[in-house]
Amino acid sequence: MADMIVVKNLKKRYGDKQAVDGVSFSVKKGEIFGILGPNGAGKTTTLEMMETLRPIDGGSVKIDGIDVGKNPDAIKYIIGVQPQTPAFQDKTKLTEVIEMFAAAYGEKVDVMAFLRDVDLEEKANAYVENLSGGQKQRLSITTALVHGPKVFFLDEPTTGLDPQARRHLWELIQKVRDKGISVIMTTHYMDEAEILCDRIAVMDNGKIVAIDTPRNLIKALLKRGFKKSQEVQQANLEDVFIDLTGKDLREGA
Amino acid sequence: MKNSFKKSLYTVMTFVRISTKRFFRDKLALFFTIGFPLIFLFVFGGLNSGSGEVSFNVAIINQSDSQFATDFVKQAKEGKILKVNDEVTNLDEAKQKMSRSEIDATIVLPDDFGKVKGDAAYPSGEANIIYTQNNQSSAAALSSILDAQFKGINSSLVTNVTPFTVKSEQLNERSLSAFDYTFAGLLGFAIIGMGIFGPMNVFPELKKMGILRRLSTTPLKVWQYFLATMIGQAAIGLIALAIMFIVAILVFHLEVVGNWFELAIFLVLGITMILGIGLALGGWAKNERQVAPLGNIIVFPMMFLSGTFFPRYLMPEWLQNISAFLPLTPVIDGIRLIATEGRHFIDILPQIGLIGAWMIIIYFLAFKLFRWE
Repeated sequence: MADMIVVKNLKKRYGDKQAVDGVSFSVKKGEIFGILGPNGAGKTTTLEMMETLRPIDGGSVKIDGIDVGKNPDAIKYIIGVQPQTPAFQDKTKLTEVIEMFAAAYGEKVDVMAFLRDVDLEEKANAYVENLSGGQKQRLSITTALVHGPKVFFLDEPTTGLDPQARRHLWELIQKVRDKGISVIMTTHYMDEAEILCDRIAVMDNGKIVAIDTPRNLIKALLKRGFKKSQEVQQANLEDVFIDLTGKDLREGA
Repeated sequence: MKNSFKKSLYTVMTFVRISTKRFFRDKLALFFTIGFPLIFLFVFGGLNSGSGEVSFNVAIINQSDSQFATDFVKQAKEGKILKVNDEVTNLDEAKQKMSRSEIDATIVLPDDFGKVKGDAAYPSGEANIIYTQNNQSSAAALSSILDAQFKGINSSLVTNVTPFTVKSEQLNERSLSAFDYTFAGLLGFAIIGMGIFGPMNVFPELKKMGILRRLSTTPLKVWQYFLATMIGQAAIGLIALAIMFIVAILVFHLEVVGNWFELAIFLVLGITMILGIGLALGGWAKNERQVAPLGNIIVFPMMFLSGTFFPRYLMPEWLQNISAFLPLTPVIDGIRLIATEGRHFIDILPQIGLIGAWMIIIYFLAFKLFRWE
């Protein structure tokens, strides 16, 4: 499959710190690509350079053949960005939020269809300040898709959500991928990366230390003779929690 | 090209429509834009409302039991010139109130006031006006008023020949009242409130929440965002100012002699220029703490020197020369010249030119300094 995104030797320096130190990877069309790493590894900075939010110090990013550094205005039409903590101005109805984001691209869209995509139809005329964290995340996702982007960026999308809302969001992200959109996300949750991501890049100190599918990364580790000290259980606490409370989204979630 | 321009305009108008709707849902914003200036209008309008007639706060201590004295006190209380304080019954109380400037002077009618003395055919007496050092001018004016009243009474009692008299005549031409100045100043105050304090508080908040940053990942341009804010603010501003005009006309008898259309255009011009200051400050600041001191440095001189709360002609000449060039000064002057003096654009070209010059400087800075986060 063709590469939608090609990142070559990307660099960013903040004062003394080389935040991103020669990162290269590519993302295919219709793939969920995860960037993992501890805090300060350079995940968010890498993402921000790709999103045109930060000037690129060195190297290049090409999305759909367009150079981000040289033509940021054209890039903005083909990317959708989900910030870490979505926020909207008070006293705005959900329908108006979508209208405004579509208008930012000069477009007029079927607002209800976009709300339906993220199960927020019933909240159409509510004000944004009355949404829960999960609902805000979903609204934010749909606003990032109003213009039919080719690439969708998510920065730690499920931080602070309850297990039901997280799973719901995973399904949403998979639906986005199934439309042929390339998804790039950062996360701190390994289970999330394992379930959701088609491929993963692990970053540390501004460099990519490993890049492959989750399955291959695990295989490679086992090949090196790794053994967990504890016996692996067939279920974990989250499985218990979901079994007890069900998968349905909660009121206000 | 034409299509992309249409799209740009659609973007701007959608932002205008939705943010205007938001404004009318926001009770706090409504209060600060419309209610707050109205409160000032009532306070300052109330202070100036009596400016047409001179009146004195006095206490009258009547020590006489004559019918003439009783009638005199009654008439004084009914008249408009004197505001008689009923609480004061003796001179000590009166002195206390005078020392606090609660009353301007005290009129004492001695016990023989208004009595017929000896074999005279008519009553006579001497009223004493007591005042403090601070109130010399009020006391002098009060003396001549009472003097004039007594002359009237005297001439009805004794016929006198008066070779020289004074007659005053009122011209039909209207001069500016204190309220005309105050009102133009209050409009200026309202324009500062919505044009500068509005964006100065809102933009840093939007940055903190990451809302502007999120918008910056869309193709939305700074000029589109500014233009949307300008159109929205100008519309809301005109409504707020129109309400002030209505109240001023109905309650404080403001007489607008100028052309309403010219006035509206001029107000939009003024609002747009002043809004640029808010956009520059709010667009530049990363957070509220950064913008507050700078905002105050810029706003306070205009607040006090541009004729907002008191007219500029009261200032020393050197200060008038400086304050003439503050951005708000031509706005307030222009409003007064059009609204209450009936001038036209052609007469206020200096004001319009100054506003235009500021507009160029301010918007150049606003675009240069704007940051999405």
